[in-house]
Amino acid sequence: MTVLKGNPVIKGRASGPALVTKMPMNFTASFTKPKNLIPAWRSLVQDSNHDLFNKNIRKTVFIYPATIGSTYTGMVLLELMYRGTAPAAIIVQNADPLLAAGSILADVWFDKGIPIVEYPNEDIFDKIKTGAQVEVNGDTGEITVL
Amino acid sequence: MKLEGEQEGMLKGGNGPIMAKAMETVVKYGEAFGAKRLVPIKSGHLAGTFGIGPYGAYIHILRRIASEGLRVRVPTTVNPRPGYDLNFINRHIVFTKQEALEGLLSAIGVTPNYSCVCYEKANVPSFGDRLAWAESSAVQFANSVLGARTNRNSILMDVCCSLTGFTPEFGYLLDEHRRGQMLVRLNIRKMDAPALGYLLGKKVVDKVPVIEHYPFSRIELKNMGGSMAASGGVALFHVEGLTPEAPDMKTVFDGPPKVTITVTQEDLDSLRLRKPQIADMVVFGCPQMTCTEALAVAEKFVGKKVKVPTWFCMVPDELTEFKKHDQFSKTLDAGITIFEYCPLAAFSLRLGKKHILTPSGKLLYYLKGAEYGTEDDCLKACGVMQ
Repeated sequence: MTVLKGNPVIKGRASGPALVTKMPMNFTASFTKPKNLIPAWRSLVQDSNHDLFNKNIRKTVFIYPATIGSTYTGMVLLELMYRGTAPAAIIVQNADPLLAAGSILADVWFDKGIPIVEYPNEDIFDKIKTGAQVEVNGDTGEITVL
Repeated sequence: MKLEGEQEGMLKGGNGPIMAKAMETVVKYGEAFGAKRLVPIKSGHLAGTFGIGPYGAYIHILRRIASEGLRVRVPTTVNPRPGYDLNFINRHIVFTKQEALEGLLSAIGVTPNYSCVCYEKANVPSFGDRLAWAESSAVQFANSVLGARTNRNSILMDVCCSLTGFTPEFGYLLDEHRRGQMLVRLNIRKMDAPALGYLLGKKVVDKVPVIEHYPFSRIELKNMGGSMAASGGVALFHVEGLTPEAPDMKTVFDGPPKVTITVTQEDLDSLRLRKPQIADMVVFGCPQMTCTEALAVAEKFVGKKVKVPTWFCMVPDELTEFKKHDQFSKTLDAGITIFEYCPLAAFSLRLGKKHILTPSGKLLYYLKGAEYGTEDDCLKACGVMQ
C-alpha cells in the first residue's frame, strides 16, 4: 500500500480503478460527440487525438496532467456528474478553474460532485498504473494506492 | 476565505435560497484556488448559448434561477447563437433547447448581443477592471489588449458570478500571475497573426508569452488571441511596446526571461494548406468579424464572383453597421453569404463539404475537416485572386 500526499482541491472521498494518461485532456472535444449523447449515456473519450480514445472514464480514478480547451469544460463535466457517468475521482498535476468548476457546480446544485486532488510531482506516473485500485481523499489530499 | 457583510448575507440566504447557491458556488470556487476574498466585478460575459438537446444540467439550473426572478447584477453579454435554424439537423436534433435557453437568458437580464466579440461595443472593459468572463477568446482580449482582469471561467460559473456580482480573487486577477513567463522572438518576413497565435498556443500551453515588438492591428490582436486560446489554454499575452502591461521588456518580466522561443516564417507557413484550390468552402470570421474587418476583406470581392460557397460570420451589431456601406450589397453580389452565428456550431454538421478553408486558427482547431489559409490563400480559393 502506497500513500501519496497531494493538495486537496474539491472535497469528498471515493475509490476506483485508476485510468492514467500523460496527455492533457480536452473534455469538450471528448464528451460532446454523438457516441456520448445517444443512446446510452456512455463516457467514452471521443477525442481522436487522445491516447485514451474510446476508453470509458466512468467510475474510474482518472489521472492526467492538465485540462485544455474551451470554457464549455465545466458544463461538460457537470453534465457527466449529473448523469452519473463521471469518473469517481480525479487526480490532476495542475488543477485549473474549468475542471474545478465542473465538480463545484455538481456539488452545490445537485449534491453530485466528485473529489479532486492536485498532485504536481511526476512520480505519480510511476506509482500509479492503469487498473490499480486507488482511494482519493479530497478533504486531506491523500491518495492511497491499494 | 473572509466574506464581507453583503456576501455573507447572500451565502446565508438573505437574498433567497437560489442566490445562496450561486454564492456558495462562487465561494467554493475561491476556496479551491486559495483566494483570500471575493471582489466586485464590473461585467460578465457568458459562453453558454448553445441549447444542446441532450445536455440537461445547464438548463435545469438556469430554470431554477429564472423561476426565483433573479437577474444579473452587472452588465452581462453572451456568446453567439449556434445557427440552429440553418438546417433540419441543427433545428430538430442538436439544438432543440435553443429557444428555451434564449428565453431563460433573457429572463435573467443578459444583453442579447449574441457575439463572442463583446468587447468592441456591447461590453467594453477599462484598464484594470475586474471581470468574470467565460469564452476563451474574449477573456484573452480583455486581459491582453485591454488590460482588464479575468480568469478563464467555466459556463455557469460565469452565471453565478454575474448573479452575485462577485468573483474570487486568484489567478489573473493578481499582479504576480500577469507577468511574462516566456519571450517570443520573431524571425519572419510576412506576418500571419492567426497562424502565429495557433503556434504559440501549442508551444506555451497555459503560460504568459511576451512577443517582441510588432505593430499588430487591433484585428490582428483579436484573431491571434482567439487562436492562441483555442490551441492552448493561454488567457493572457503581451506584445512589447504595444499592449498596456508591456511598455518594455523590463516592466513585463521579473528579471531576464527564463525561456525564449523563436517563431520563423517556415513555422507560420507550415500551417497553410498547400493547395488552397481544393477547398470546397471558405469561412471568414472566427471570432466573428467586425464592420472594419468585413470592409477590408469585402474590398477584394468587389466586381467579382466567388467560385465556392463563401461565408462571412459577423458580430450582429457590426453587421447592422456594415449594411450601411456600399460594400454590403457588393459583397452579396459577389455571392458571399453573410450571417451572424457561430461558424463552429453552424458547420459542425455539414453534408458533402470536406475541405473548409479558413484564415482563423480558432476554427482550424475546433472544426473537424477545417484547413488553414492566409487571407490571400482564402481569396485564391474563392477564385477572386490569382
